[in-house]
Amino acid sequence: MSRLSDAMADLYAVEQLAEKDTPVHRMHPLAKLLTALAFVVAVVSCGRYQPLRLAPFTFYPVLLSAMADLPFGRLLRRAALALPFAVVAGASNLFFDTAPAAHLWGVPVSGGTLAFASVVLKAYLSVLALLILTATTRLADLSAQLVRLKVPPVMVTVLTMTYRYLSTLMEEASSMSAAYALRSPYAKGVKLAHMGQFAGQLLIRSADRAERVYAAMKLRGYAGPVPGGRGVPMGRKDWVYLIGVLAAVAAARLVDVPSAVGGLLGGMA
Amino acid sequence: MHMADALLSPAVGGAMCAVSAGAVAYAAAKIGKDEFDDKKIPLMGIMGAFVFAAQMINFTIPGTGSSGHLGGGILLAATLGKFPAFLTLTAVLIIQALFFADGGLLALGCNVFNLACLTCLIAYPLIFKPIIQKGMTPKRIAAASVLSAVAGLVSGALAVVAETTLSGITELPFKTFAGLMIPIHLAIGLVEGLVTAAVLLFVYGMRPEILSCAAERKALGGVSVKKVAIAMLVATALVAGGLSLLASAYPDGLEWSIEKTAGEAELAAQSEVHEAAAKVQEGTAILPDYDYREEGAAAIPGTSAAGLVGAAITLAVAGGCGFLIHLAKKRRQKAAAQG
Repeated sequence: MSRLSDAMADLYAVEQLAEKDTPVHRMHPLAKLLTALAFVVAVVSCGRYQPLRLAPFTFYPVLLSAMADLPFGRLLRRAALALPFAVVAGASNLFFDTAPAAHLWGVPVSGGTLAFASVVLKAYLSVLALLILTATTRLADLSAQLVRLKVPPVMVTVLTMTYRYLSTLMEEASSMSAAYALRSPYAKGVKLAHMGQFAGQLLIRSADRAERVYAAMKLRGYAGPVPGGRGVPMGRKDWVYLIGVLAAVAAARLVDVPSAVGGLLGGMA
Repeated sequence: MHMADALLSPAVGGAMCAVSAGAVAYAAAKIGKDEFDDKKIPLMGIMGAFVFAAQMINFTIPGTGSSGHLGGGILLAATLGKFPAFLTLTAVLIIQALFFADGGLLALGCNVFNLACLTCLIAYPLIFKPIIQKGMTPKRIAAASVLSAVAGLVSGALAVVAETTLSGITELPFKTFAGLMIPIHLAIGLVEGLVTAAVLLFVYGMRPEILSCAAERKALGGVSVKKVAIAMLVATALVAGGLSLLASAYPDGLEWSIEKTAGEAELAAQSEVHEAAAKVQEGTAILPDYDYREEGAAAIPGTSAAGLVGAAITLAVAGGCGFLIHLAKKRRQKAAAQG
């Protein structure tokens, strides 16, 4: 089952990257989460007819992944997988909004083209920001910070537990579908008629596993959803990073950098 | 059906995040109060992982050659009860957004509302439970599963259409967009409902004690379910109203149609509508700016030849910086390895 094994490989790769030790990895998880969120909001709020304004935002993924030692090519390919939906949703603009909205060296460009380009670029940039966040931050550290943000402890506990058992259950499902595939050659997936037994079996196995996990937790003195670590507060370095990135993102959002740079070069328009 | 960040305006995304955060807080408080059983916590976590794995099992749909996969909202609610199921599905959506680029940070609120809230907190208590209440027979399980899965998916699809349209991302008119999305999700919901029914029937036959809907069907407080539903509907109406007000302050469609009817040249002239729009826009700078109208026809600041050259240079500088850092790191690593 390729989807299952792909997802398992993805998860493993991201987990390995998050274990690195670089300046970005050492930064406070909350600072990284907030800067990623600010980045996404700034990118998404850019004018729908201004794809070029997004250019300065490329500094964020490029610089971060270089400093965090991330494989940039792999990140780019991974982010591209998330694009098709944005392409489909943005494509309608190409057909409905055909009035020329700008001229590049005398060639008219329709508003729809600009809107389409900006939706696709926005999708790409925001996915990249998220991938970089998870490739530099472990989920355990992130969820410890969620408690500080007053997210209900039950929610945080369920989040960490779901994540912890993800690979276990994907392996279980993967071995079940391997067994199924071996007995039904030439089948592309599980037959619809067998899906009830298949997923039902997986559900029963999961419930049984939960029983065993609960017993084990009880033996270790578990008493309700109180997550262990509350996480450390932000240090001075983290504040500097947070404020610096926020300022840079705000500047990129408010100042028309491409026009300014182009204007400096002798007004080519 | 996951929404992406790029399909949302910050106003819509932020509002939906607030709605979903409220729902999470409410569900967490409810679990803490009356249905708390600390045995449920590991069950929730593992069922979340189960849904995740189950979504990745492709099954073939006979006669079409295409394949589908399970959404799992109703299945979770039938196993865990509505509030725990909602929180569990939220956890799954967070993990999908963070690790699998399905959805996004800003879009999380929308996705939690569209996929978790509507199925676990609306479709399940309002459709699934009343049907099952009279007893679990294969027919009832099938009807309840299909109806609630269809209702959940179609309302989710409608929410996607509404959120995208309010964000002003697509030029597709609401009706056309909805007309495209609803039939597709009717079909998907039908298949999902059938599979959900098959799974529930199998589990009910083998191990009925796992299903919480089987256990709690006698002791059902009809009042609280109704109350929750009404509260959710009122909240939805309020949010929708607020959002459409916000959206009409940024009259994308309006200005666009003005442009069509009045011709582009006249737009340079200051109209009242335009002034009003500009004023509102000054007040809330975080929303997409439409300031290009002030510059006269066919001139969008930042979208010109100079801007294009500038963007290319900006990209080159960004790439150059990244490359330099990469080189410096490699050199340092080499030095460290030699020394």
